[in-house]
Amino acid sequence: MSIELPASVPHDPLLRFILALADDELMLGHRDSEWTGHAPILEEDIAFSNIAQDELGHSLVWYTLYEQLTGKSPDAMAFVLAWNDFTCCHFVTYPKGDFGYTVIRQYLFDEAEQARLTALGESSVQQLKEIARKLIREEAYHLLHSKGLVERLGDATVESHQRTQAAVDEAFPQALGMFEKLEGEDELVRAGVFPGNEVLKAEWLKRVVPVLTSATLTVPVAGQDGSYTTSAKSDEGGRRKSHTEHLRQLVDDLQAVYRMAPNAKW
Amino acid sequence: MTDTQWETYEVFHQTKKGDPHIYVGSVHAPDPQMALQLARDQFARRLKCVSLWVARSKDITATDYQDEDFFAQVTDKSYRDPKAFEAPDKESPDEH
Amino acid sequence: MSTQEKSKEQKLAEFEARINRGEKVEPGDWMPEEYRKTLIRMIGQHAHSEIVGQLPEGKWIPYAPGFRRKLTLVAKVQDEAGHGQLLYRAAETLGKPREEMLEELLAGKAKYANVFNYPTPTWADVGVIGWLVDTAAVINQTMLAQTSYGPYARAMKRICYEESFHIKQGYDAAVALAKGTPEQRAMVQDSVNRWWYPTLMMSGPPESMSVHTSLSMRWKIKTKSNEQVRQEFVDLIVPQIRALGLDVPDKDCHFDKSTDHWHYTQPDWEELKRVVNGDGPMNKERLAVRRKAHEDGRWVREALAAKGRAKAVAA
Repeated sequence: MSIELPASVPHDPLLRFILALADDELMLGHRDSEWTGHAPILEEDIAFSNIAQDELGHSLVWYTLYEQLTGKSPDAMAFVLAWNDFTCCHFVTYPKGDFGYTVIRQYLFDEAEQARLTALGESSVQQLKEIARKLIREEAYHLLHSKGLVERLGDATVESHQRTQAAVDEAFPQALGMFEKLEGEDELVRAGVFPGNEVLKAEWLKRVVPVLTSATLTVPVAGQDGSYTTSAKSDEGGRRKSHTEHLRQLVDDLQAVYRMAPNAKW
Repeated sequence: MTDTQWETYEVFHQTKKGDPHIYVGSVHAPDPQMALQLARDQFARRLKCVSLWVARSKDITATDYQDEDFFAQVTDKSYRDPKAFEAPDKESPDEH
Repeated sequence: MSTQEKSKEQKLAEFEARINRGEKVEPGDWMPEEYRKTLIRMIGQHAHSEIVGQLPEGKWIPYAPGFRRKLTLVAKVQDEAGHGQLLYRAAETLGKPREEMLEELLAGKAKYANVFNYPTPTWADVGVIGWLVDTAAVINQTMLAQTSYGPYARAMKRICYEESFHIKQGYDAAVALAKGTPEQRAMVQDSVNRWWYPTLMMSGPPESMSVHTSLSMRWKIKTKSNEQVRQEFVDLIVPQIRALGLDVPDKDCHFDKSTDHWHYTQPDWEELKRVVNGDGPMNKERLAVRRKAHEDGRWVREALAAKGRAKAVAA
């Protein structure tokens, strides 16, 4: 099934926008799924596997929209593209680390999703609107889970505090890379597709700073009453296809079997 | 500090509104709110569910199988059964 | 006369009469100590098998070819964790805490299914495990769903419901390879060659060699012998393997018209003994992985427990 977009919406920037969403979910879902069989306790193994499936599932939804616009199938994209052709942010490509890093990363990503999907729920592009309104319901559960863990681990014990603080120190600049400006973004904003990454970042800061702070974690921000600025340097480049070795390794793994016979049925 | 697998919570699951909550098993959890989430992932990932209850296993008070006398019914209590009484006669339409 | 006043012989006689009538035993019921011990051992081993069983297939999650295979594999391995969770809980009802069971597993003191001590060097193993191993497991589990111990029977019914998905996804993945390129076909045949005998061994040694069977059968913990379960598996799976144009790696495997069963060569039972006692190709490695996950997660368990206690006090 192929669909057409309103003429007022800039075609290439929109495709770039969709791919960034798809690529982020794919890489994070892949990293999340590495915990299956290795989580701190059985019940969390089960819970986290659900989140991994959801993220991969969301990636598939965005790639399917991309297919409807271009004819390229999700597998032909995700399992065939060269590693430096993806447009995910660096943040989601890094190894899973310890459970503290994973939880902080998941939380920061989940809040970004809330901001992003809420905004897309008002998008001028009908398909984005519909998808966003659907996905946000699953994301709400992820946020409940990751936020719950952050709130607990932040100040439970000396060790959990140290680990989650170390995770925030590492992840916060990386997370800023989620909001790297896209090429052609201004056109998308003018066409009402979404409000722009700066707006989303401000919304995101409003959400995460109070939660991290009440969990006794320090965040490199200044400001108050919902208006924050940060001195942290954003770890970006992913949207411009400038990636680290971590992505090369991830994609090598991801595509290893598929590439053995890319035109075959697996 | 001893490393434990956490306390257990008993889980009750309601498929749709109007149905009773059914006991489905238990989860190990560190607190009631997490027990709800962990129960959702363990017991409701396939089955339709509109409501979950969790209760600490310690808070369940139960009878003892070995005390069968608790449920002993020795005297005739058929007087409680609706079948033990005559039902009102229904007038046949023909008798009108 | 109340239960406490009866003699041990009377209690045992009543217990066995109830079992023979097909009644279930629940936690808190009087039971012979041997019944309790046997169940803790069996259910514990079953639970350990699920947890260790996450690893051979879980290894392939990062490499699964395509969205559908990747999603399906995560769901399958998740189910294994879920089954372990249900089974540990059933064993806990007999008085053994999960901490203790896990300690024994990680210390190498507990047994678990032999199959998970073999390596999974190719993607084809994912399909073949789902297809062969889970088919064998389902035959065993369907029988166990009738077991006399209530909590075990209930856990098994839930597990059986999910297990049919496991077989189907495995078979589907294996079929794709069997009908695929020459390399894919070779991959799946090689996998079947390696998994055939370990899967046959899963149902356990023939009764003459097994220490535990007679009481298990007498108390309806299990209701079929190991040989019966194994024969059922062979009769079911051989036609499926041959229908895909694949070979069973047993030159002597043939349909015997006089018995109406597929005849097969007995596995090497010495190998089974070595493998379940810690000397299989992957035993050390699998346990090391579980130990690491357990150690790495200690701070999380302790932190969440501490927070839970603080919340309870505050409430």
